[in-house]
Amino acid sequence: MPRIIPTAVVVVLTSVFALVPYVQGQQAPPPTWKQGQPASMADSPLAPVAQPPAPKAPGEMPVDKIKVPAGFKVSLWAHGINNARVMTWGDKGTMFVSSRVAGNVYAIQDTGATREVKVIAKGLNLPNGVAFKNGTLYIAEVSRITKMVGIEDKLDSPPAMEVVYDILPRDLPHGWKYLAFGPDGKLYFNIGAPCNICIPPDTHANISRVNPDGTGFEYVAHGVRNSVGFDWHPETKDLYFTTHGRDWLGEDVPSDRFDVAQKKGLHFGFPYCHQGDILDPEFGKGRSCGEFAPPLIKTGPHVAGNGVQFYTGSMFPPEYKNRIFLAQRGSWNRTEKTGYKVMMVTLRAGDVPKYEVFAEGWLQGGQPWGRPVYTQLMKDGSLLIADDYAGAIYRVTYQR
Amino acid sequence: MAATAGTPTLAADLEAGRRKAEPCKSCHGPDGNATLPGTPSIAGQPTFFTHWQLIKYRDGRRKDPQMSPFAASLSDADMADLAAYYAAQRPLPRPATTGPVKVAAGRELARQHLCVSCHRPGLTGHEQVPRLAGQDLTYLVKMLRAFKAQTAGDLDGTMTTAAQPLSEEDIENLAHFMATLPPSP
Repeated sequence: MPRIIPTAVVVVLTSVFALVPYVQGQQAPPPTWKQGQPASMADSPLAPVAQPPAPKAPGEMPVDKIKVPAGFKVSLWAHGINNARVMTWGDKGTMFVSSRVAGNVYAIQDTGATREVKVIAKGLNLPNGVAFKNGTLYIAEVSRITKMVGIEDKLDSPPAMEVVYDILPRDLPHGWKYLAFGPDGKLYFNIGAPCNICIPPDTHANISRVNPDGTGFEYVAHGVRNSVGFDWHPETKDLYFTTHGRDWLGEDVPSDRFDVAQKKGLHFGFPYCHQGDILDPEFGKGRSCGEFAPPLIKTGPHVAGNGVQFYTGSMFPPEYKNRIFLAQRGSWNRTEKTGYKVMMVTLRAGDVPKYEVFAEGWLQGGQPWGRPVYTQLMKDGSLLIADDYAGAIYRVTYQR
Repeated sequence: MAATAGTPTLAADLEAGRRKAEPCKSCHGPDGNATLPGTPSIAGQPTFFTHWQLIKYRDGRRKDPQMSPFAASLSDADMADLAAYYAAQRPLPRPATTGPVKVAAGRELARQHLCVSCHRPGLTGHEQVPRLAGQDLTYLVKMLRAFKAQTAGDLDGTMTTAAQPLSEEDIENLAHFMATLPPSP
């Protein structure tokens, strides 16, 4: 019998955390975002960008400021989706959208002219991961993966969430997950490092997978600080993923990474080696970057790459086939903000990939009005971009 | 383009907030400065903080016999208006009987536990992070216990993680220290 949990659950964390290295009366560990900050920067004004509690109204979003290449056009596709993150399509055309701190999962029904947004689950524990297969929606929270069977026929009275796998670590720092079905039919997700920089437990800092029935858990990639976005090459079936680099090492280092895992079991360097060529000043001692898989692309310092999306649609020009869109949510640990863009990668046989801007403009006067965080394709080949800061989804179309 | 879900907006209405705050007065005071022990003062709290707490009460992540039913019927616009109204009110100190030994111990604990890194110097709060300075002593103890018990409905886990090493004595000392700080910078 599957264990059944009510749709709106109150999260009660029941277990110990991986890292509570504290002795009474001594200096406690700082909050995750401040870990690894050098003493000389103790008064730094840099801190994570606060998530607004409400989505922006259409009139508050200068969508016309988003610049895309010639021939492309950006419009507002849906709004009023607090903290909108990962988008995944149901079999019958429902768009499911996750959130992180808002704790909601949404369903969007596209009637052509309008989009109707419904909350189908609320009060969840950082439910960033959503994936859909064979009529079932899978949701990843911090320590568990659950499913809603037949959800598309029951949007107004969602079915109970059934546990698929619930023995994941309960650590909240980097505990939220990306979730996606691989070409092998398995569910892939990240288990982030429970810190900014630390020697993580063996169970953390990886990408893992499990069968959709909860059996066969295994690690796929190691030494991955926190990857909250991946996709598979449509032809080679290799796993491509973004990783957020550590903070407080400098304004321009380390670079975040875009990686490919051509086989299972590779180690991508965390916490010993950053960006493929910088040893960590504390944890890198006695190690060599040559021990670890190098990045495919150094995507830039603090850019916070999230969504990865191979272009497999037919609307964009032919050269866009199998290009990769990378949604970068943008920096906080840098005086001048960077990222806040959708980048584009062109893989080239026998050459380094081409890496260029596809969409930008969410930063105006150095301040963000939105943060592109994930992408998804529509059936017609147009590209959707979710913005968790403005609580909106944009649509990019192309016309010759 | 006409997505629904309340068509919320960040452009809050202070005057509307004042009207909507009418039912809040009996516990939180006429201007958000409460006098009931165990009830927080919400005058001068950052808009993001108050708005997020109302969301958490509405979706069940935070529970309270008075607040949960009240928040259940609030729209996103109501929350924005209420948060903006209370942010504009001047916070007053809460009367508290604090012990100098506990206050001194609490000051040292606040340093060890790096409270200022999120709550800002003076523990006056900003954005989604609440002001603790001059808050009600009983309420501070109640919330620190709840974070330690992992039942406080944390937004992103920062406080739940931070509260784990605190002993009951630590919680008491921290609350005594925070209650003595001036609520306005």
